[in-house]
Amino acid sequence: MVAIVVLALITIFLFREGFGFFGQNLTNIRLYRQSGLEFVDLMRKHADAHSALSRGLSTLRLKQVRAGEKANVPLDAINASLAPFDEFAAAFSDSAEPLNGVVSDSGELASALRAQLAAQIVARDQKADPVQPGASSAEGELENQPLTQSETLAKLRESTAVFEAAAAAINTQVSGLLASAPQIPEASAEKAFTPWKGHARDHLRELVAGGAELRAWSPDVPVPWYRAVGSFLFGRDWVTASFWQDWYGIIPLFVGSVMVSIVALVIAVPFGVASAIYVSEVASATEKRLIKPYIEFIAAIPSVVLGFFGIAVVGQALRAASESSWLSWISFFPLSERLNVFTAGCLLALMAVPTIFTLSEDALRNVPRGFKEASYALGANRLQTIARVLVPASLSGIVSAILLGLGRVIGETMVVLLCAGNRIEIPDFSAGLGAFFQPVHTMTGIIAQEMGEVDAGSIHYRALFMVGLVLFVLTLGINYLAQRFVARYRMSIG
Amino acid sequence: MKAAAPNAFRTRVLQRGAFWVFRFATYFIIACASYVFLDIGIKGSRTVFTTTPPFINVAFLSERPQTLYVFDFEGKKETLGDQDFRKWKAAHPDAVVEPATVAYSAGGIWPCIVGTALLVVGSMTLALAIGISSAIYLSEYSRSGPWIRLIRIAILNLAGVPSIVFGLFGFGLFVIFFGWNVSLLAGWFTLGLMILPAIITASEESLRAVPQGLREGSLALGATKWQTIRKNVLPYALPGILTSSILGIARVAGETAPIMFTAAYAMRDEMPWQVNRVTDFVFQGVMALPYHIYVVSSKIPQNEYTERVQYGAAMIFLVLVMLIALTSIVLRERSRSRLSW
Repeated sequence: MVAIVVLALITIFLFREGFGFFGQNLTNIRLYRQSGLEFVDLMRKHADAHSALSRGLSTLRLKQVRAGEKANVPLDAINASLAPFDEFAAAFSDSAEPLNGVVSDSGELASALRAQLAAQIVARDQKADPVQPGASSAEGELENQPLTQSETLAKLRESTAVFEAAAAAINTQVSGLLASAPQIPEASAEKAFTPWKGHARDHLRELVAGGAELRAWSPDVPVPWYRAVGSFLFGRDWVTASFWQDWYGIIPLFVGSVMVSIVALVIAVPFGVASAIYVSEVASATEKRLIKPYIEFIAAIPSVVLGFFGIAVVGQALRAASESSWLSWISFFPLSERLNVFTAGCLLALMAVPTIFTLSEDALRNVPRGFKEASYALGANRLQTIARVLVPASLSGIVSAILLGLGRVIGETMVVLLCAGNRIEIPDFSAGLGAFFQPVHTMTGIIAQEMGEVDAGSIHYRALFMVGLVLFVLTLGINYLAQRFVARYRMSIG
Repeated sequence: MKAAAPNAFRTRVLQRGAFWVFRFATYFIIACASYVFLDIGIKGSRTVFTTTPPFINVAFLSERPQTLYVFDFEGKKETLGDQDFRKWKAAHPDAVVEPATVAYSAGGIWPCIVGTALLVVGSMTLALAIGISSAIYLSEYSRSGPWIRLIRIAILNLAGVPSIVFGLFGFGLFVIFFGWNVSLLAGWFTLGLMILPAIITASEESLRAVPQGLREGSLALGATKWQTIRKNVLPYALPGILTSSILGIARVAGETAPIMFTAAYAMRDEMPWQVNRVTDFVFQGVMALPYHIYVVSSKIPQNEYTERVQYGAAMIFLVLVMLIALTSIVLRERSRSRLSW
């Protein structure tokens, strides 16, 4: 009786708080457009691309120095041979000066406007509530607000021309630079330099086209409602409490949770299932009596203790191992962070093993005796019986055990909060398996970390409830799947 | 038959190899878990036990957490807790020292133990009261139908909801919506609701284990249904219910996520009974052992001074939870062998 009330309460409450988020997020995104922040970000994109290219140049330089060092060329000689290259790089990064100027100027304008508009919205809300004192003064302010908004926006628009001028200047300058690009003595660096030139040309083309893009931008184009949902479900940034613009995109958190769970399951499933087979089929009676309660006992270890253990022992050990010479052939070793996906995954595996073990063992034991006896009677040995008869017969039970283990892992908070590194970023998948050794943040971790610091009813608060809702729906789905598998398993035995 | 011989040999080798793999996997898990226990046990016992009588570090168990002061004085390295440091200052008025401070690393964990005990007692009382009554309803009164099926599905699913979602829910409903703030009451309700599905399932199982004949006998003597349940069913089911709820205690005591923002404070100077009015008692936040472990392992750096309190708290906590879990397992085994109709 109470359970359904609680479940309903949880659902209703999460939805109530969560859906408030979309409205607020929509306002948030509208503000972003109306105040011209979006406009500035369009320009900033180009400035960022330019500085990324500059960084590319400096990594190129580093590569050449390394190559020189390997060939035992003295440092002075290397520097001398790189002098034309340095000149080129300096000229390239200087060419962005006017662009950066425009971006920072208009950025200031836009964020001031955003603050104004936000205050205006607060004032409007107060006006709607007549009891609120100070509403009349807010109204007075309200009168001259639109004027400043259009003024600021007009100023912003003027910067389009500045931007175009800067773009044209950069275009001629960099084109000239590219035409007279220095020769690079080192072959491998030269190989990397050619694609860089291509990127630079693309960048120039986009830069020139950027003016048209800026002209096409308008603060009055309405933001459709689905942007609010889309920017949450597919947003690639989770940025809060920044002076610029807050973004609430769940993708980095979701990816973090999924990666940690993958590591945990990849470790826990083979060990859990293998030990279940061992205990139910191979082990002697004494072993059975001792091992089974012991593994079940592991489930009682509080997660915060495991998390502490991860920080104090596993993380350190992992880093020490990654620095040892006999593992140096792995490209991403030594690790820069001791707390990462892998650390958290290992500990979560230890938490998931008891669940998987207990349920798989139950499933294996519930296979009717007749199945086993029939298999022996046909001349199969024990391994053949296990592989061909017992495991297939209990497969749905084992799968549901794995799913329940996954449910436990994805909902686990303390271990990931303490051990996953808490960096809100989608890991760099270009690093291959190295992505699993980068720090992430997870859905459960973000709730635990940020909930204590937010104001009730703010957009951030509601965004966290939305994350909770996603988590809730996810675990319900996993549970439902597991129950479906169990139901099918019962039928197949009967 | 001769041709089959190498084949049979191969299968035998294969089987033996596979069994060794299984055996290795099992013992590897056991080794990992044992390593966790041993590491925390050994390093923690350096804090918890002493070499002089009474062999147990009473101060660690009975004092409040304090800031640790580390400084050099006359060539000697001194490490003093907050209180001792003040006393030392009073004794050496002219000494000029620049102590490095390490938060939480001196003193003990007494308020945390008390807070956890309060949380466990309150939430278990709540969960048992609600849980047993809903179990009685489900197993004695209800008739199966779509409504009851729905309730059962709800209970089953509630058991799988992550604890952080319970925490979020408790924070939103009790702390913000009801305005209870960070308080014992909010923590009790959050933890109680979290453990409810397990209690209901366990109670229902125990109630079902009471033979039907006992109920029928009582009803035949003219007792009402409620009298039957109270006098003839509950007394026999109660031991079973309590036994399986001990495992619930282990879970309630071990969870951190639900109490992080409903009931736990990182640091509080007063003990829970030092309140102005009696009603304030339930509306106060407490320090709790799991939250304290979280705080000391994430908010302060890892070094020789912090290790003492980190491992000490972790060990005390681990031992407490393990003892509860062990009691439950032992009791379950015993009750299984004793109670058979």
